[in-house]
Amino acid sequence: MANSALELHGIEAYYGDSHVLQQVSFRLGEGRLLGLLGRNGAGKSTCMNVSVGLLPPRAGSVEVFGATVTRLPPESVAARGVALVPQGRRIFKSLTVRENLMVAAHAGFATSHEPWTADTVFAMFPRLAERRGQLAGYLSGGEQQMLAIGRALMANPRVLLMDEPSEGLAPQVVAEVMATIRKLKESGLSIVLVEQNPKLVFDIADDIVILNSGRVAVVSTAEQLKSGGVDLRQHLGVF
Amino acid sequence: MTFWLLLTVNSITFGGLLFLLSAGFSLIFGLMRIPNLTHGSMFMVGAYLGTSLLGGTSGFTLNFWVAALIAAVEVAILGALMERLLLRRLAGQQLAQVLVTLGVSFMAADLCLMGWGGDPISVATPPHLAGFVRVDGAAFPLYRMAVILIAVVFAVALWLMLERTRLGAMIRAGVDDPQMARVVGIRVSQLFTIVFALGAGLAGFAGIISGPILSVYPGLDQDMLPLALVVVILGGTGSLLGSFVGSIIVGFIYNFGQALLPELAYFVLFLPMVLVLVLRPQGLFGGQIL
Ligand SMILES: Nc1ncnc2c1ncn2[C@@H]1O[C@H](COP(=O)(O)OP(=O)(O)OP(=O)(O)O)[C@@H](O)[C@H]1O
Ligand SMILES: [Mg+2]
Repeated sequence: MANSALELHGIEAYYGDSHVLQQVSFRLGEGRLLGLLGRNGAGKSTCMNVSVGLLPPRAGSVEVFGATVTRLPPESVAARGVALVPQGRRIFKSLTVRENLMVAAHAGFATSHEPWTADTVFAMFPRLAERRGQLAGYLSGGEQQMLAIGRALMANPRVLLMDEPSEGLAPQVVAEVMATIRKLKESGLSIVLVEQNPKLVFDIADDIVILNSGRVAVVSTAEQLKSGGVDLRQHLGVF
Repeated sequence: MTFWLLLTVNSITFGGLLFLLSAGFSLIFGLMRIPNLTHGSMFMVGAYLGTSLLGGTSGFTLNFWVAALIAAVEVAILGALMERLLLRRLAGQQLAQVLVTLGVSFMAADLCLMGWGGDPISVATPPHLAGFVRVDGAAFPLYRMAVILIAVVFAVALWLMLERTRLGAMIRAGVDDPQMARVVGIRVSQLFTIVFALGAGLAGFAGIISGPILSVYPGLDQDMLPLALVVVILGGTGSLLGSFVGSIIVGFIYNFGQALLPELAYFVLFLPMVLVLVLRPQGLFGGQIL
């Protein structure tokens, strides 16, 4: 069995008094892509917030390549090689495209891939290169998504978390983003891909976790799900 | 004619001092989301420390600008200590942090009273700047021109730091989205210390260089703090351009108000603040930190 890149164990997470995650456990294997599915409000983004240290869980543990990071502050989790492409992109709007990349630059973790720098990010997203001096707030939605991905890569992470990167994008841009994710997976990065739309995930994922009302409802490989062993509609609604 | 010209020069000079005071206040507000109520104290402490370095009480005499720089560094260190030792322990509890800054401002006022007494201390204009520039029969005090020049130089330097360096970009990222800044690995709490020390140092520097114009007296802190507040509310928090424009505007309102409507000087000063808060709460330049 491959090493664990990211492991959540018995997570109990709250926003104030509301209990949002209950006994959530799942495991991302090294070099694999885990699709995290669930309908609106199921707790997917909360899992991301817990993983990067934005929301300390009341109970349970988070491990990155075997080291416990539970309750470390976000900047320390980042230093352990976890990067997030957040829901809604959250690029720094008053920074230029290039500055968005530079503030996130870190030597990070050497992989087989050559290290990510502003130049390699620009080579992957030529449209960002054309706009490198522009304020990021003026980019189109698709360009902002690419910038959010590039910014995450600048830390040279070993775990990449992507929270609904296709949200609000035109189909053709979604295809571009998915192709990028495929490339990143081939480069050996361990990836969690959060989506509401399972069709986007099934082709690309190795493993699937489905959340339902803050609990893990299904843990499976993509193969098994595609062969139809589980009633997805029960967990994901109509699609 | 000369009267108006002089009033204008005085307004711009005062605006320059206000900019040095409020640039840090605004950056701290933008990044840490709290009004730092010790900012007036830092101005006053810088002025008092400067007077001691200038030979009033400590027996030796330094060049004015050397004394001003040392006073600024001392206040910057005090600011860094305050952030590290007090505010950091209350990270995320903004109301508690504001109350701490309020408490420290009263404590600082008492310590200054104990250290420097209750009488105003006048600060001599540096001898090489004691003269006047004469243009068309009007005489402009050289020192005030120098203060304007210094404010412009600091404004440009701060702008370059914020716009052209990685540190500046990190500060702007922290103002934009502090949580996301931490997630991408920026040590936002270190930025807090840096910005707090920088703001304190600038305020202390403004304090001592305003000495020859305002002199130094108990209550100077409480005279200056509301002005910084008005500047930042007019200009918008976290915006350097806003602080600059806001400072000039307040410099004019304050000086013209005192000259023309002395009994309504504070009314005239705070009216624009109230109007902006009600009509355009993000400030004239809110949302951008340029
Ligand atoms: N900051 C917050 N404060 C309080 N409750 C929150 C907060 N963020 C999310 N919630 C609640 O927590 C639950 C889980 O939200 P979460 O954002 O994790 O869902 P999600 O699966 O990411 O949904 P979506 O697909 O809409 O992004 C929801 O009921 C939501 O209303
Ligand atoms: Mg979500």
